[in-house]
Amino acid sequence: MTLPRRTFLQAAAATGVMLQAAPAVRAQNKGKTYRTALIGSGWWGMNILREALAGGNIKVVALCDVDRDKLEIAAEEVSDLTGDTPATFTDFRELLDEREIDIAIVATPDHWHALNTIAAIEAGAHVFVEKPTGHTILESRAMIEAARANQRVVQVGLHRRMGPHYVSGMEFLRSGQVGDIGMVRMFVHSRGGAELPTRNSAPPEQLDWDMYCGPAPLRPFCRKIHPGGFRHFLDFANGTLGDWGVHWLDQLLWWTDEKYPREIYSTGGRPVKGPPVLTDKEQTTDAPDSQIATYQFESFTATWEHRQFGGTGPEKTSVGCYFYGTGGIFHMGWRDGWTFYPADSKKPIVHQDAQHKQPDGHSIDLLWADFLQAIESGRRPTCDVQVGHDATTMSLLGMLSLKLGRSVRWDGEQERILNDPQANALLKRTYRGDWQYPSV
Amino acid sequence: MFSPGRVPRLIASFSTHRVFNRLPVMLRRLPLFLLLYTLACPPAPAAEPEPAPAEPVPAEPAPAAESAAAADWHRFRGPHLDGVSRESLAVDRWTAEGPPEKWRTDVGVGFSAVVIGGQRLVTLGNADNVDTVVCLDTATGERIWDHAYASPTDANEFEGGPTSTPTIEGDRVWTLSRQGDLFCFDLAGGAVQWSINVADAADVRIPTWGFAGSPLVVEDALILNVGDAGVAVDKATGAVLWSSDDKDAGYATPVPRTTASGTEVVIGSGRSFVGVDAATGRIRWRQRWLTTFGCNAADPILDGSRVLLSSAYNRGAALLDVAGEQADTLWKHKDFQTQLGGGVKLGQYVYGIHGDLARGGQLRCIRYDDGTVQWSDDRVEYGALSATEDHLLVLSQDGQLLVIEAAPEACRVKHHSRVLRGKCWTAPVLSGGQLYCRSADGQLVCLEAN
Repeated sequence: MTLPRRTFLQAAAATGVMLQAAPAVRAQNKGKTYRTALIGSGWWGMNILREALAGGNIKVVALCDVDRDKLEIAAEEVSDLTGDTPATFTDFRELLDEREIDIAIVATPDHWHALNTIAAIEAGAHVFVEKPTGHTILESRAMIEAARANQRVVQVGLHRRMGPHYVSGMEFLRSGQVGDIGMVRMFVHSRGGAELPTRNSAPPEQLDWDMYCGPAPLRPFCRKIHPGGFRHFLDFANGTLGDWGVHWLDQLLWWTDEKYPREIYSTGGRPVKGPPVLTDKEQTTDAPDSQIATYQFESFTATWEHRQFGGTGPEKTSVGCYFYGTGGIFHMGWRDGWTFYPADSKKPIVHQDAQHKQPDGHSIDLLWADFLQAIESGRRPTCDVQVGHDATTMSLLGMLSLKLGRSVRWDGEQERILNDPQANALLKRTYRGDWQYPSV
Repeated sequence: MFSPGRVPRLIASFSTHRVFNRLPVMLRRLPLFLLLYTLACPPAPAAEPEPAPAEPVPAEPAPAAESAAAADWHRFRGPHLDGVSRESLAVDRWTAEGPPEKWRTDVGVGFSAVVIGGQRLVTLGNADNVDTVVCLDTATGERIWDHAYASPTDANEFEGGPTSTPTIEGDRVWTLSRQGDLFCFDLAGGAVQWSINVADAADVRIPTWGFAGSPLVVEDALILNVGDAGVAVDKATGAVLWSSDDKDAGYATPVPRTTASGTEVVIGSGRSFVGVDAATGRIRWRQRWLTTFGCNAADPILDGSRVLLSSAYNRGAALLDVAGEQADTLWKHKDFQTQLGGGVKLGQYVYGIHGDLARGGQLRCIRYDDGTVQWSDDRVEYGALSATEDHLLVLSQDGQLLVIEAAPEACRVKHHSRVLRGKCWTAPVLSGGQLYCRSADGQLVCLEAN
């Protein structure tokens, strides 16, 4: 396509043309094969791509990764699975310029989600993006605006809204058997100990480190960051609350009729791992090893808690979400399914096992199918960008309060923090070099 | 080239269709970190390609005495570097409970195997960010000496702790830490003869999961899988003899082979395998061998000028002919991917654990010459293995000891019993009639094998 396709889309959206035109286009698209690109072809990106391929109606036309080894291996796997040879890129902008695609899957580290997603949308693609929707709140907001302005479907990887036991668990929660719910507690615990610094080194030869860092600061490379360690470096992600937290916060938002918390406070740090280190010689991670966040809603209080030491202890589970009601305690878990413990100990415990795709314990297949149905029918997907944004925003408000060291009051309608300019400044970040923070 | 359609035929007698159907997917990716993924949600921190028990092979100028008294298991994968003990195993006399336990002790967190010199056993473990080299009396398990030094446990989505196995020669023992601390001890009393940090000395980086290969003695040199294509130091002084580029090392142990132009060592680098002149460090050949996580951990299995490579993380296996200083591929497929520890070659067949921790592996038998899969069995989901000349000795990931007939026709389990609890990724060691099994959390049990 020659186009100023991007320009056309923007213009069309601005005039509202797309709103009318879209259904016809979608009707034609029924049963079509979607030209799909994967941006970020590491472990999780390939998990998504495999599920998408299993769905049967995509053709993988391009892969992008800043690590050329991962790119080559991913391309080889696609060839093995499909016989196709996808084009490979290390810069997503070149991919979007050179290949015409219908769908982009974005599975890069968090600090890239907004730029990757918005560029793909502006190139005309529907997007399946991993959570969180942004590294800062205004990035996430910009993703919504781009999706809406360009009439593109954006599905966020919150597969826990579709997994069978989460769905049945939510039905159970709403059945009234848990009674009046006054408190919710979300948590993830693991084992761990002190962290000693790791020596910095030159980045591996196959890694474009400058592009990996992208809009984030160009920090020295160390082997703990890549592969697979970015979540614990706040330049690139937001620790456990910005990872696991988004899933459980989303369960909370799925359950409640309230749209957002009114007041947020978080504390925590690195009492076990020790203070973060970053010198030209060595570094540690800098995400908190333990954190508590409280979210005050009008009608209930929710807390987040993570701890990377001590293990599970006397509890039966290390991860999930407890809903405390007058009828008992409901646990929404992961691999352990859901369980209801009635307050009346004479009543039987109710339990349902999890059903997941293994080995990774997810339901990406369902989420992908929902994504394609949304594209074809014109409806919003189940984990629409707004859904992802709401859960992401809660996690980022927790991180923001932790950094500030004080509570913040949130105006969820205006998406502003009340009476606190310093806090509002943290709704965005300064980008490095020529990278432009997405405008809302 | 690998084609999913071939697999069922090859494995016919052994696997179920369920296994076949899973193959195309299972053959791929094995992000180790999926294991601990329980706590990590999506991209957990790094993975855990733990080069725990890798295993080299054939030989180097083989130690002379062989036939009568089997030599001590004095280095990783044994005296012949092939993972095969020349001792016999009285498995037919074992009770269902397994061989009697002689002693049991705690050696600290890690994946280091034991090595034996006379009545001394040496291994490595970690507690509270301190590595300890321990020397135990093989008869009692009592500690003869130890040496501790600071070393981060470095739990990179697995337990952490040392992954390299010590090497004994004569009255000396050498150890390598994940951070590159290289020690030479007096075996009798544990006195430090010398120590260096080899990453500093050679000015090369530490790979993602730290150094894991064991030191290999070649004449006066100690050759280490450090840097792009190894580093050699003087075994008597620790002086660097030669080094290689500052690129990620892999996690396998260097394996020597004798050539007309001197000893060559085959080293698993981060992104390739290389054949290196042991005397000079000159690279003779290089075979590109990419994996998703730069994890070439299983030792190559050599036979003359032929080199069998096998890695997981979306790689596979290939047999190379490296005569003539270039690597010619004789066959290549994705049906035999050894993730951590290497396989064992007995006769014309190689036995190893294919697949990955996250998805579950299978014990497989392939023919060395053409790679044909003889059988595949999924009873051992994951683990590590060594062998006698007749039997495979498998320590499963959950601590079960399995003795399996080494036969290309079928996988016949002759014995299984639980010997440890908790994760086990370290291959069992049979030496002096005693069988040593070790778990990740540091339980070391000595069993009376005969």
